[in-house]
Amino acid sequence: MLQLTEEGRRYIRDGLPEKRLIALVKKPTPLAGLQMPDLGIALQWAKKHGWVAIEKGMLRPLGKPRDLPEEAGLQAVAAGKPVDARIAAVLIQRKLVQEARDDLRRQAERQLEEGVATLTPELIATGLWKQATFKPYNVSSPGAARHPGKRHPYNAFLFQVRQRLVEMGFKEMTGPLIELEFWNFDALFQPQNHPSRDWTQTYSLAFPTTGRLPAKKLTDQVKAAHEGRLPGSTGWGYRWNPEKAARLMPRAHDTAISPRYLATGVEVPGKYFNIVRCFRPDVIDATHGVEFNQTGGFVIDPDLTFRHLLGLLKEFATEFAGAEKIKFIPDYYPFTEPSIQMSAKHPDLGWIEFGGAGIFREELTQALGVQEPVIAWGVGIDRLAMFRLGIRDIRELFTRDLQWLRSQPVIA
Amino acid sequence: MPTLELSHKDLCSLIGKPIPKDQVADALLYAKCELDTQDGDVLHVDAKDTNRPDLWSAEGIAREIAGRLGRPGLPSHRATKPVQIVAVTAGDVHPFATAAIIRDVTLTEAALSQMIQLQEKISTSFGRGRREMCAGAYDLDLLRFPVAYTTKKPEDIRFVPLGFTQEMTVREMLATHPKGKEYGHLLTGAARYPVWTDATGAVLSLVPITNAAGPGTVTTKTRNLFIECTGTSLPMLQTAITVMAAALADRGGTVEAVTLRGPGRPVISPDFTPKRAVVALDQLRVTGLDLSGTQAVSLLRQARTLPVLKGPRIEVSYPAYRQDIMHARDLVEDLLISAGYGEIEPVVPRLATRGAADRRELLTARVAEAAIGAGLQEVMSYILTNKDALFSRMQLPPGRACEIANPVSATWSVFRTGMLPSLLEFLSKNKHVEYPQQVFEIGDCVLPDDRQETGTLTSRKLGIALTDVRAGYESIAAVLDVILRTLGVRYTLAPTSHTSFLPGRVAAVLVNDRPAGHVGEIHPQALNNWGLEKPVAAAEIDLAALETA
Repeated sequence: MLQLTEEGRRYIRDGLPEKRLIALVKKPTPLAGLQMPDLGIALQWAKKHGWVAIEKGMLRPLGKPRDLPEEAGLQAVAAGKPVDARIAAVLIQRKLVQEARDDLRRQAERQLEEGVATLTPELIATGLWKQATFKPYNVSSPGAARHPGKRHPYNAFLFQVRQRLVEMGFKEMTGPLIELEFWNFDALFQPQNHPSRDWTQTYSLAFPTTGRLPAKKLTDQVKAAHEGRLPGSTGWGYRWNPEKAARLMPRAHDTAISPRYLATGVEVPGKYFNIVRCFRPDVIDATHGVEFNQTGGFVIDPDLTFRHLLGLLKEFATEFAGAEKIKFIPDYYPFTEPSIQMSAKHPDLGWIEFGGAGIFREELTQALGVQEPVIAWGVGIDRLAMFRLGIRDIRELFTRDLQWLRSQPVIA
Repeated sequence: MPTLELSHKDLCSLIGKPIPKDQVADALLYAKCELDTQDGDVLHVDAKDTNRPDLWSAEGIAREIAGRLGRPGLPSHRATKPVQIVAVTAGDVHPFATAAIIRDVTLTEAALSQMIQLQEKISTSFGRGRREMCAGAYDLDLLRFPVAYTTKKPEDIRFVPLGFTQEMTVREMLATHPKGKEYGHLLTGAARYPVWTDATGAVLSLVPITNAAGPGTVTTKTRNLFIECTGTSLPMLQTAITVMAAALADRGGTVEAVTLRGPGRPVISPDFTPKRAVVALDQLRVTGLDLSGTQAVSLLRQARTLPVLKGPRIEVSYPAYRQDIMHARDLVEDLLISAGYGEIEPVVPRLATRGAADRRELLTARVAEAAIGAGLQEVMSYILTNKDALFSRMQLPPGRACEIANPVSATWSVFRTGMLPSLLEFLSKNKHVEYPQQVFEIGDCVLPDDRQETGTLTSRKLGIALTDVRAGYESIAAVLDVILRTLGVRYTLAPTSHTSFLPGRVAAVLVNDRPAGHVGEIHPQALNNWGLEKPVAAAEIDLAALETA
């Protein structure tokens, strides 16, 4: 049910403002001289109906105004008769009529009679909510399940590690997934035909098979290192083969990235890291996935010593594993000397093999044109990721269980 | 990394000092060995240094530990002059050989098992699965000199192999003998097979497969031994025979050298003449320890070397069985191990550096945030997949992809070129999970690309997939729109054709008028191929296109 507003009642009495304007202006008249109540509204609607035009400050009537449906509509509302919906919409828009307060009240009363289930706009508008008693809900039952967007917890964990390393002053490195054997092995002083290259079992490629070696000056230096022609080293004592070095392979370890950066120039002092996917033909079981992520990097400074190597690992153990105790064990990598492995005592996991590090061999740094000692480091964060995610099988890091992913909290 | 089994009692008797159970682990560190488990008297140990076969048996480990516990300096191994001459006729397989004679050795159970273990580890680890080297031992009293290392046609070789009682042909051995089955492939293609024979013409062993029973059987009753190594590199064989001879010498044996006469210069093995290296005192700076020359000398002596301080340098003689010393730094490590890693105070490096994440990783994080805002769950997949998943199932013609030559499994043999197969596979594993399902993954793909130095381009892409009874073009276009707008990327869509999608319901996504990806409804045939039962709408965007946008 509609009823007239104050303005609607006035217009029934005085006529619509645009009608009044037309009655006032019989010929072109300067706008500035016009005076009448509701002038703004009158001009707006007269223009809209096409009754007047305004040119250079002159108001010009354009013809005989017709009767408007609004006028009949207003009369009908006043008489309590039904009104066409389109006309009612115009009247409501012009704020000349409104939904009868009684109607709201009636609706609200009906809702009260039927028993109030929810708070409604009618109850709020009429104030009848004061008489309503709202049936209490079972507020102790949880809300219906929704599945919002979330990061994969493993990725979220890796991103956290990345942020922590950045806070510690490390700069991130990246490299291609398919690598030249040159960077994966040769530039790291791993001989081409020697058991120590078995240090990592690796994949080889059927396609593509060969890439392009870097500048000859660099490959010559690496060749000299392997063949024992750098000062102070006997080398591995064999003939280095550039064709083997040019072969392509899936990156087998993250350390493949470091020589690329060392060869092209790095900041000194410098701290670098990477978090990257690596590939090895491991037999897949609870501790070996199809692919794995490695976190590592290097630190370079003229004054670095073995004690800094221990200190760096100790810092990682505290930062990432919350380690209470650490233990250093002699280790072997073909590219570092000395080489160590660190075990850390994690508050919940007990002793874990947490990281490995060493000082890059001089044959390696010399061949890459680096004068300063370089500490190479790697930390095993997958074990910590598994602990944080509460999983026991490393394959589950790449889980395809949507239900599990939906159930995981955002990691702290 | 070789894993070893040692007897605690035997180890102590070799060291000449009892080592309490709870101190074994620490003592083993001096020999670069980590105690894995301790099972009564049995120690399970990881030998860390793959380049030091001398540390792969109780004798060598004990020798190294003893140096730190009061018996420092160069070990006193020597060999008597060679009497026996071995003729070597090189074949294609394992053309080189070294050998030694050991007399008057007492092979206790422990000594015998260590000898066998060392032989095995040298053959598998140092010899890369016997491909590059293989070691053998014989009862000297059961063979007659002159012994020869020669080759025979396979059909001319018949003998009773170790562990069997019947004579066999080579063919039978390769088919039925466990070592024949394991290592027979190493002989593939050779016209003549390498064998050791003695003066009677009897075959002592087929290299690199198995010894003959009889002379090739060594027991605790064996007093005198003939040991040999064959392989592809003479320096490695010299190292190996010296390692084995030194171990048996530590058991009380007398070592007699052997002359091997082949096509080249005669070889005398084993050769215990110490090798020499020089450590300049300023090369000790890297230790971080304030060491005097005398202190350094003392620590190096504990590492079983003979160091002599001469002005600003130390001249070091070290045992012949070590082939790992290429640089003064290698001796510096030995010195540090003598000092004890647990005894050295760590110093955290304080360097004025500024950290920064990689730009592509930061972009990845931003894109992930936008995708999460659009209500998508992130998933993570392997980058490795297979051609069926990449092409056939996606209704695509066979395309180029980076392929592994030696995959562990055909399932993971090819690097993905796009994200959609990963996502469809993910959805196919979750058909029973509540719908709607909306997932995304930002991951690396590998595209063959001749212009790159690595012949490939590592390309990071965003993949999105929605599935529900009514998932369609409109829903995926809306999700893509909100993600790209959140990222501030202006893009346009243009009709295109792509056989993974339903015709007429796929668009190319253009950023800066360049193709950046696709968006559309997955072709029902592809859904059938993946066993998916509800419509899937998906999009893929190359992050490189967003970097510049």
